[in-house]
Amino acid sequence: MTKRMAKWVSWGFLCLVLLVFPRVFGIYYSNVFVAFAIFAVYSLTLNMLLGYTGLLSFGHAMFFGTGAYTTAIALDRISGMPLLPVVLAGFVASVVLALILCPIVVRVGGTAFAMLHLAFGQLMYVLALKLRFLTGGEDGVGGFPIPAFSIPGIISVDMTNPLNFFYFAIAVLGLSTWILWFFTKTPIGSIMIGIRDNPQRVEYMGFRVTHTKAIIYCLAAGFAGITGSIYALFQNLISAEDGYNIMVSFGPIMATIVGGVGSFSGPIFGSAIFSIIEELTSRYTERVELVMGLILIGVILYAPMGFMGVMGLLKQRWLAARKVKLEGAK
Amino acid sequence: MDSTTAMYVAQGIHGLAYGMILFLVASGLTMIFGMMGILNLAHAAFFMLSAYFSYQALAMTGNYWIALLAAPLATAVVGVLVERFLLRKVHAFGHVGELLLTVGVSLVILDAVKAFWGTESLYVDLPESLKGLIHVGGLEYPVYRLFVIGLALVVLFIMAFLLYRTRLGMVVRAAVSDADMVNALGINVPLVFMLVFGIGTWMAGVAGVAIAPILTVFPGLADQMGMDAFLVVVTGGFGSLSGAFIISLVFGELSSYGVQFISALAPVLMFVLMAIILVIKPTGLFGERE
Amino acid sequence: MRTGRKILVVFAIFSLLLMLNLPKALAANAKYDAAGLPDMSDFDPSNPIIPTGDTIKIAIVASFSGPAAIVGEIYFISVQWAAHDINKRGGILVDGKRKKIQVIRADTQSKPAVAKKVCERMILKEHVNVLWGTNGSHIMKVINQVAKKYGVIAQCAAALSDELYDARNFTRYSFMTSFQTNQIGRAAAYYYGQIRKKEKKFYILCQDYLFGHSMAEGFKEGLKLYYPQAQLVGEDYHKLFLTDFAPYLTKIKASGAEVVYTGDWIPDAANLLVQARQAGIKLPFANIFLDEPNFLHKVGVEGTKGLLNISQFGAPNPLFKNDLQIKFYKAWNDLWKTKWKAPFNTYLFKHPLGNIGSYMFQTYWLLSVIERAGSLDPEKIIKQWEGDSYEYISGKVMTMRPVDHKAIQDLHAFEYVPPAEQKQSFNIPPYSYFTGCSNTGPISTIPAEKIMPKLDPKLKR
Repeated sequence: MTKRMAKWVSWGFLCLVLLVFPRVFGIYYSNVFVAFAIFAVYSLTLNMLLGYTGLLSFGHAMFFGTGAYTTAIALDRISGMPLLPVVLAGFVASVVLALILCPIVVRVGGTAFAMLHLAFGQLMYVLALKLRFLTGGEDGVGGFPIPAFSIPGIISVDMTNPLNFFYFAIAVLGLSTWILWFFTKTPIGSIMIGIRDNPQRVEYMGFRVTHTKAIIYCLAAGFAGITGSIYALFQNLISAEDGYNIMVSFGPIMATIVGGVGSFSGPIFGSAIFSIIEELTSRYTERVELVMGLILIGVILYAPMGFMGVMGLLKQRWLAARKVKLEGAK
Repeated sequence: MDSTTAMYVAQGIHGLAYGMILFLVASGLTMIFGMMGILNLAHAAFFMLSAYFSYQALAMTGNYWIALLAAPLATAVVGVLVERFLLRKVHAFGHVGELLLTVGVSLVILDAVKAFWGTESLYVDLPESLKGLIHVGGLEYPVYRLFVIGLALVVLFIMAFLLYRTRLGMVVRAAVSDADMVNALGINVPLVFMLVFGIGTWMAGVAGVAIAPILTVFPGLADQMGMDAFLVVVTGGFGSLSGAFIISLVFGELSSYGVQFISALAPVLMFVLMAIILVIKPTGLFGERE
Repeated sequence: MRTGRKILVVFAIFSLLLMLNLPKALAANAKYDAAGLPDMSDFDPSNPIIPTGDTIKIAIVASFSGPAAIVGEIYFISVQWAAHDINKRGGILVDGKRKKIQVIRADTQSKPAVAKKVCERMILKEHVNVLWGTNGSHIMKVINQVAKKYGVIAQCAAALSDELYDARNFTRYSFMTSFQTNQIGRAAAYYYGQIRKKEKKFYILCQDYLFGHSMAEGFKEGLKLYYPQAQLVGEDYHKLFLTDFAPYLTKIKASGAEVVYTGDWIPDAANLLVQARQAGIKLPFANIFLDEPNFLHKVGVEGTKGLLNISQFGAPNPLFKNDLQIKFYKAWNDLWKTKWKAPFNTYLFKHPLGNIGSYMFQTYWLLSVIERAGSLDPEKIIKQWEGDSYEYISGKVMTMRPVDHKAIQDLHAFEYVPPAEQKQSFNIPPYSYFTGCSNTGPISTIPAEKIMPKLDPKLKR
C-alpha cells in the first residue's frame, strides 16, 4: 500500500515539476526541454521495435518525417485547420505508410529488416527533396500558421506562445508515453518480448508472429508520426534534413543503446544524455563530431549495457555491499 | 562516328567509370558484411581518409604513383587497427553495438580529418601522363577516366584471384558460410577477419585515391559515396560480390543515361530500381543471408 | 576669376543633379570613413580580441562545424575585421553610451533545427542585438522567423534567395544586404545581351533546389528582357554535392552551347569546372562562386581564362583609385602575408575583396546604421535602415529599399584574364591578383536600375 502511495506521490511531484519548469528556467530551457521530450518519445517508439520486439530499423525517420510533413503541409495548404486533428493526421499518415510497408518488411528480420528500412528511408528522403511542389524541396515547409488549441465555446489557447506550447507538447508526449507503456503491459506486449527472444516458440504457442509484428510496427510508426507532428509545430518548419535524414534514424538508436536497450525508460535517459551533451558541445566546442564519436565508442566498449544497465549494476553492487555490511554487523 | 553516337558512347563509358568506382567501395562493404556480419558505417569515412592521404602523399613526394600505392595501404593499416582494437572487443555484444561503434569511428575520422587538413576543399593534381584526351574515331575521352576503369579491373582480378585461387581465399569463403566450423578446424578466424577488414578498407582506399583528382577532397566526400555504396550492397544482396558488381555497373549506367534522357528524374532512378528489386526479393538480388 | 567661375558652374551643375536626385553615388547618406582606419596590426582571426560586458552583440549564425565549416570562418574574419576596426575607433555611441562590438559565433551545423535553437539561445541567453547570416536560404529562413518572433534585427548577408523576402516570408526585422538570385540571373543576361553581345547559345546547369531554380529563373527572365536573340540550348538541374558531372558535361558538349550559366557553389562549382577541363571542354562558365582562388589555382591559368563572375563587391576599373584604398588593402594583405595562421593563410583570404570584402562592408553598413540610429532599439534601427544608403570603400553605393528590405545596387561582371593582363584592374604591384590562375581583367558595370531587386507584388506594407 505504501509503495503505491509513494508511486502516486512521485508522479504528482513530476507533474508539479513540469508545471513550474517554464516559470523557473525560462523560455529557452523550456524549449530545450520540449526538444528533448520529442526526441525521447520518438526514441521510445523505436525501442518498441528494437528493445521489445528485436527489430532493428535504419529508417525510423520515415515515420517521424511523414508525421511532420503531414502536419506541416496540412497547415500550410488548408486554412483553418484545428490543432488536434493535424496532430492526429500525422499519426494516421505514418500508420498508413507503415501499412503499405508491412507486407514487405514484416516477412524479414535481422539485418534485412534494417537494410530495407535504410533503403526506403532514403527513398523518402530523396522524394522529399524531389517533390518540390509539395515539400518545398531542400527548403522544406515552414512558416505555416500554428492554430490555437480550442474547444469551441469553451477555451482557445494561443499556441504561438512558447509557454502554452510547452504545456501542450508535454501533455501530448506524456500521454503518448503512457499509452506506449500501457501497451507493453498488455498481453500483446508480452508476445512482443516473446518474439524478440524466441519467435518459433511464440508461433508454436499459437500466436501469429507476423500479425503481431505488424500491429507493433504500425503502432510504433503512428507514435513516431505524432512526435514528428509535434516537432513540426514546435519548429514551425520541417525539411528533409530534419525529417528524413539518415541521422534522424540513427539518433534514436544511439539514444536507446546509450540509455540501455530493453528497458522501457532507457531511451528517455539516453535522450537526456544526448540533449545535455548537445547543449554543452554547442556552447563550448565546435568539435561536435569528435565528442559524439568518442562517447559512442566509449559507451560501446566499456558500458554496452547502457545507462540503465550501469545503474542496475551499481544498484546490485550497492545491495551486495550492504548485505555484506549487514552480515558483518551480525 | 558522328557526334550523337559519340555522345551516347561517352555516356556509356562515364557510367562504366562511375560504376567501377562504386564497385570498389561497395565490394569492401559487402565483403566485410558477408564475412563478419558487420555493417561498416565507417566504410565511406575510410574512403574519404584515403583521398586525404593521397593528397598528403602527393604534397610530400610530388609523385602520383607513390600516392596511389601508399594511400590505400595507410588506410588499410588504420582499418586493421580499428578492427583489432575496437571492433573485435565488441563482437560479443552483437551487431547493434558494432554498428554504432563504426558510427563512432566515422565521426572521429571526420573530425580528425578536419583537425589535420582543415575544412577547405583540397585539390589533387593528375600526373602529366594521365592528363589529356584520347581520340578514337570521333570520340574524345579523358585518359584518366579510362585509367580508373583499368585500375578497378586490376583490383577486381586481384580479388578474384585471392578468393578463388589461394588457400587464404578458400578459408575466407569457408569462414563466410560457417565461421564456427572454420574456427573448430584450428584456423585463426579472428586473424582472417582482420585481414578481410584490411582488404575491404584497402579497396575503399583505392577508390578514394581514384576519385580524388576528379573531385575536390573535402570533409563531405564520404556522405554521397557512402550512401550510393550502401544502396548497391542492399540492392545487390548482402555479402554478394557478384551482386555488388552487377548493381554497381547498372547504377553507373542508370545515372549517366538517366541524365542524358530524363535528367529531372535521374537521382530517383536508382531508388526506383532498388525498391522494385527489394519488393520482389527483400534480401537483394543475390542475397541469401539475413 | 576664371577659377571662381568654374567652381560656380560646377556647383550649379552639382546642385541641379542633386535636385534631379539622379546621382545616387553622390547622395549616399553615409560612407565608410577610410581615413579613420586605425592600426589593425593586432588583428588576428585565430586569436581575436573580442570585448565583453556591455557591448553591441552580433551573432554570426553559420556553419562552424560540419562539411561547410570553412564558410563560418570566412564570415567570421570578415565581420570580426569590421568590428575590430570600429572597436579601435572607440566603438559606437548608442543610447547615450559608447559601446564596443562583440562578435559571437553561433554554430548551426548547417541544420535548420540546430539553427533555430542556437538563434534562440543567442537572443534569450546572450541577448544579442543582431543575427547575422548565412549560408543556405533554408537556414536564413529560420533566422528570420526567430528574429520576427523575438523582435530582434537580422541581417541577411549571404543567403541570396528572393523568396526570403516575398509576401509570405517577409519580416520587417530582417534586412537583405546581399545581392539576390533573380537579380544575379538578370545581371548575367544583361551582360551577355547588352554589353558583350557575342555568344548566343546558353546552357543552364544549376543545383536542384530552390536556390538553383531561382538563379536559373532570373537568367531566363533576363534573356527575354535583354537578349531576345539568345538561344537556350539546354537546361539541367543536378542534385547537390554531385560526385560525377561527366554525363552533364557530355550533354553540354553535344548541345553546342557557347556559355554555361551555373548557380553552383563550392564544392559543386569547383568539381564542375575541374571535370569540364579534364574532359577537354573549354567553354566559359558564368557564375557567382567561381572565384574561390584555391580551386582556380588547381585549374590553372588556361582553364580559368574566360570565366565570368558576377560580383557584389565590384567597382569600375582600376581597383585602386586613391591612397586610402591602397592603405586599407595593405592593412589586410600585409597581415595575411606575415601573420595569419591556418586556415586563414591560404589564397582564399589573400584579398579583402570579393565575397570577403562584401561581407565586411555589409557589416560596416550595419554598424553605420546602428551608429546613426543612435540606439540599439530595433524600431529605431529599422527606421534608420529603411531607405538608407551607404558607400563602400570601393565607391559602390548600397540603398535599402524600404518596402521589402532588399538592397538596390549596381552589380559588376568580371571577365577573367591571365595574370599578365590583370594590370588593368589590379593597378599596384605586383599588378595581378594571383600568378597561378586567371582573374579579374575587364569589369563591366550593370546599372542598378536594369536589375532592380525582384519585388513580390503581393507584399503590402
